[in-house]
Amino acid sequence: MKRYAYYLSCINESMTKELDRSIDFWQKDLGLEFVKLHEGTCCGGSNLDYVSPKHFALVNARNIALAEKMGLDLIVSCNTCLMTIRTAKKKLDETPALKQEVNDILKQEGLEYRGTSEVRHLLWVLVDDVGLESIKAKVTVPLKNYRIAPFYGCHILRPSTVLGRDNPLAPSSLDQLIEALGGQTIPYEHKNRCCGFHTLLVAEEESLNVAAEALEEAINAKADFIVTPCPLCHTVLDGYQSKALKQANIDSSIPVFHISEMVGLALGYTAKQLGIKRHIVC
Amino acid sequence: MTETIDQHQEGKRDVTFRVFRFNPQVDSKPYFDDYTISAERGITVLRSLNYIKEHVDATLSFRAFCQAGICGSCSMRVNGISKLACTSQVWEELDKCREPGIIKVEPLRSMPMIKDLIVDMDPLVDKMKRYANWIESTMPLDEMGKKEFLVSEEEFHRYDKATDCILCASCVSECSILRANKEYVSPAVLLKSYRMNVDSRDSIHDIRLAELVKDHGVWDCTHCYRCQESCVKSIPIMEAIHAIREDALECRGPKDTSGAKHAEAFMEDIEKKGKLVEATLPIRTNGMIWTLRNLLPMAMKMIVKRRTPPPPPLVKSAKGIKIFRAMFREMTEHVKQDHQKSHKK
Amino acid sequence: MKPFDIVIVGGGGAGLYAAMEAMKTNPALNIAVLSKVYPNRSHTSAAQGGANAALGNKAKDDTIEMHIFDTIKGSDYLADQDAVEVLCSEAPKIIRELENIGTPWSRMEDNTIAQRPFGGAGRPRCCYCADKTGHTILQTLYEQCLRKGVLFFNEYFALNLSVNGSRSRGLIAMNMKTGKVEAFPAKTVIFATGGYAKMYWNRSSNAAGNTGDGQAIAYRAGIPMKDMEFVQFHPTGLRKSGLLVTEGARGEGGYLINKDGERFMVRYAKEKMELGPRDLVSRSIETEILEGRGFDSPAGKYIHLDLRHLGADLIKSRLPQIREMSLNFEGVDPIEEPIPVRPTAHYSMGGIDTDNFGRTIMDGVYAAGECACVSVHGANRLGGNSLLDILVFGRIVGHTAAEEAGKFAPATISELELKESVDELRNRMQPSGHYERYGALREELGQTLALNVGIFRESSLLHKGIQDISGLKERFKKVRVFDSSDVFNTNLMQVLELKNMLDLAETVAVGALAREESRGSHTRIDFPVRDDEKWHKHTLATLVDGKVLPGEKPVTMGRYELQERTY
Repeated sequence: MKRYAYYLSCINESMTKELDRSIDFWQKDLGLEFVKLHEGTCCGGSNLDYVSPKHFALVNARNIALAEKMGLDLIVSCNTCLMTIRTAKKKLDETPALKQEVNDILKQEGLEYRGTSEVRHLLWVLVDDVGLESIKAKVTVPLKNYRIAPFYGCHILRPSTVLGRDNPLAPSSLDQLIEALGGQTIPYEHKNRCCGFHTLLVAEEESLNVAAEALEEAINAKADFIVTPCPLCHTVLDGYQSKALKQANIDSSIPVFHISEMVGLALGYTAKQLGIKRHIVC
Repeated sequence: MTETIDQHQEGKRDVTFRVFRFNPQVDSKPYFDDYTISAERGITVLRSLNYIKEHVDATLSFRAFCQAGICGSCSMRVNGISKLACTSQVWEELDKCREPGIIKVEPLRSMPMIKDLIVDMDPLVDKMKRYANWIESTMPLDEMGKKEFLVSEEEFHRYDKATDCILCASCVSECSILRANKEYVSPAVLLKSYRMNVDSRDSIHDIRLAELVKDHGVWDCTHCYRCQESCVKSIPIMEAIHAIREDALECRGPKDTSGAKHAEAFMEDIEKKGKLVEATLPIRTNGMIWTLRNLLPMAMKMIVKRRTPPPPPLVKSAKGIKIFRAMFREMTEHVKQDHQKSHKK
Repeated sequence: MKPFDIVIVGGGGAGLYAAMEAMKTNPALNIAVLSKVYPNRSHTSAAQGGANAALGNKAKDDTIEMHIFDTIKGSDYLADQDAVEVLCSEAPKIIRELENIGTPWSRMEDNTIAQRPFGGAGRPRCCYCADKTGHTILQTLYEQCLRKGVLFFNEYFALNLSVNGSRSRGLIAMNMKTGKVEAFPAKTVIFATGGYAKMYWNRSSNAAGNTGDGQAIAYRAGIPMKDMEFVQFHPTGLRKSGLLVTEGARGEGGYLINKDGERFMVRYAKEKMELGPRDLVSRSIETEILEGRGFDSPAGKYIHLDLRHLGADLIKSRLPQIREMSLNFEGVDPIEEPIPVRPTAHYSMGGIDTDNFGRTIMDGVYAAGECACVSVHGANRLGGNSLLDILVFGRIVGHTAAEEAGKFAPATISELELKESVDELRNRMQPSGHYERYGALREELGQTLALNVGIFRESSLLHKGIQDISGLKERFKKVRVFDSSDVFNTNLMQVLELKNMLDLAETVAVGALAREESRGSHTRIDFPVRDDEKWHKHTLATLVDGKVLPGEKPVTMGRYELQERTY
């Protein structure tokens, strides 16, 4: 059994609860144990870093330190949380004075940021730790009749100086996972593009144009569904789908899955168990 | 021995360039032409295009000037990515082709097409003007040229990387928001604005900043990092954009734009609960009326699907929130002290 | 179109400074800048090293006087001493002015503008911004021009001067975006179109567009060219592309090494070593190669520029562009391997003959920058003096034209004249039987120039060069433009550029044959020494009845007597 500290992203505790729940079904099947970090706090969502760089460092040093205390790597299943926490880690590792300042405060809680735990995405755990062959061996319901559009989202790829796992111009990890589960990936220009989430509340029209383009390409390519490793992308592509497509005058729809749901399906769990019925488009 | 290596290096491979063509005088819509040439190792995409123009098709049109990666003329999309043709190695591009052996060459995106690989740069120049991408010097006119400003190495380093920008517009072409709205300020102009705003010789910081926080300005960026990733000079453009936002919050507070209010909300919620209170985020960002008008129809669907974020009282605080809050506030004191120190300076 | 007071052709450092200064001198004037590229693309951006000014920030004992002397000596005493005095005296002021309006100079520890040593200079007086000095200066000037609302006509290709006797009526140019030939009637025209060294084509460090358009237009209008034979070869061009590795690399301490592993400059300039003046270093490298001490490769012979001992940190912080270029165009990381280099045609000392205010012999026509020959560089330009030249004389010419525009009556250009220009272009685009490829001619021109009018010259070689050029000019008549489109016809533009290069190449070769001595960048194997008695003078080349008419002009002397030039 491989053990990890599992970071609870705000959105997975509110709007996309099905993501974390669906992991619970199959984690043991793949020899994984995710220990939920209930003490963890919001990472700052790619905003706190400029609102207050020091609070940003403190909050995320603490998030990582909680995992370090258990001697585990920190696993994240939201792209933006991943990018944000890794950015903080990079800053802390490169700036000894900041690390010291933060640790002086963390002492109160008996915590220390040392920089020993890695911060990684759920997708990377599946592809790199479990391994494609092991996953293949566990598949009971191969997704062989499905044409799947892999939508990576931004913050699992960029900035590559912070993420570094996939080539941001030609990412492949999600494609590999789809294929290991027996699915067929479609060539998808938008795979490494943006969903528009981070400007949804600020520049909605622009955001939805961005999302509509991604949806349109998948629809035109006759994909059965889109899969994304990010709950924020999911929220836009699923939750705002009808609004986005209406804005772009497209009369169609396409389901959008979390990777956790896609894995669950291939391992034999039902759409209902996995919470897919909770999606707006299904 | 050396000779064999050199011969290997000078080896040739057949390469097909699939080039975007459009001549507004005769073509009703764009199309692609294929040119297959034999390309030696070390040859760049631009040199290949030059070869095609000289030997195969003189009508193929593209810009090129310095051919050395400093003038920014030959930016185009090679295999889908905006970059300079003059610094792109053909053999490296061969590894990135979607169809083996075929390098796709297209014009930059989000800029008006002129012909083939040539797009109109005027919209970018107009934005540089709108956002005052220049230094309005604090040196009185009659003292110009008589003395130097004293500028610290530290200040120089603040804008050193930003002044690497050659306005090739690759970031403009890759920008997610610009694709959705041509009015958007664009990454290159944000970068230049940042560069001007951190220069102590400049006198219009506040005016420039006021323009940047308006509609289609700095708050419209969606943090996709495509600009930074495609920058041919490896400039951390997102850092510049974040720095403008930080500056805007510090100088202007969260008062003027929804973007600023949205960002501030994160700070508030984390301090209070350690978690984001998503249910009220739209209201805090855009007010009640906007939220009702824009999000109510969707909220109904979400309620049916039980996808709505819990109302604020039901948002569970992170475990151990009390001590977290104390630490968070201690950091607030640190930040206050930092500010006092920097103001004394 | 409404007549202009000033039309500036070229949007590089000289053109933009001229525009700024002209607006400052008289804000009421109607000024336009025409450029065949967006101004921020201009070749000024490629100047990496820096600009000289005796600020005394680094060497406290530096003086304007020393800068003047270094420049005159560097010019092999062919520069006009009054012009050099203007250049060097204005230098500190212009560098500070640029600093005041935003140029991001690198800084010394005391927060003043940083300076470093450069070839041929007695003191470290080259002001720089990392290795992107020209780029940042050009950006600053462009920004300031946008601030002041300068009227730009971007992507306009200049075709002809409209001339009425001894007076210009303005300019005729083609709008690249529409293909339309447009008239720019103007009281004054300033040429600031840069140099002509691209005529050496693949053996040149210059941008593809440095084809001497302004000079060729002026030349065809009867304005004399001066000292055209003086073409500076930069010692360190990249082996494959001719692209430049800045002198900054040697300024920071790089070594030149031959295949025997020897720092051979010890034989040619014992004291200054790698920092000797450019002409000397270029000849030294060429000699090493000719005498068999160079490396060999399919892409040609070369020697090594070794930076490895400077260390990764210094290379990354001070010479990042050099590293990038070396990686992009040679596949060599200078942190780990020496860079393969050989001399490359880099700078044209010659150009449109002007006085110290940028005036030509034709009323209302001015020139500044590399396209002009004032002359401040004489037979050889010092590193760090070219950016300075375009800034100082760009400003002067802008001021002069603004002051003098009022002297001239408003001009008009007739429809008939415009039509002639259009017809000339149309003729090129007519299909015909046998035709020549412009690309081939361009390459052949570069080859014959490098071979016969290159670093080492000699009577028989030069005769061969002249013959080749005249053959190419004949063949040029059959060059055909295949692109029939009006929109952005780069095919047509490149053919017109070739025509400009061919016209000027003839003046370079004729001047080189006439000058029977060796001076500065001009080295005659058959006349190996400087001959002050016969040749201490400028050469002129004027177009008369389709032929080069050679002429001459005395050098203005001052307080510095002729001396032998040694380093």
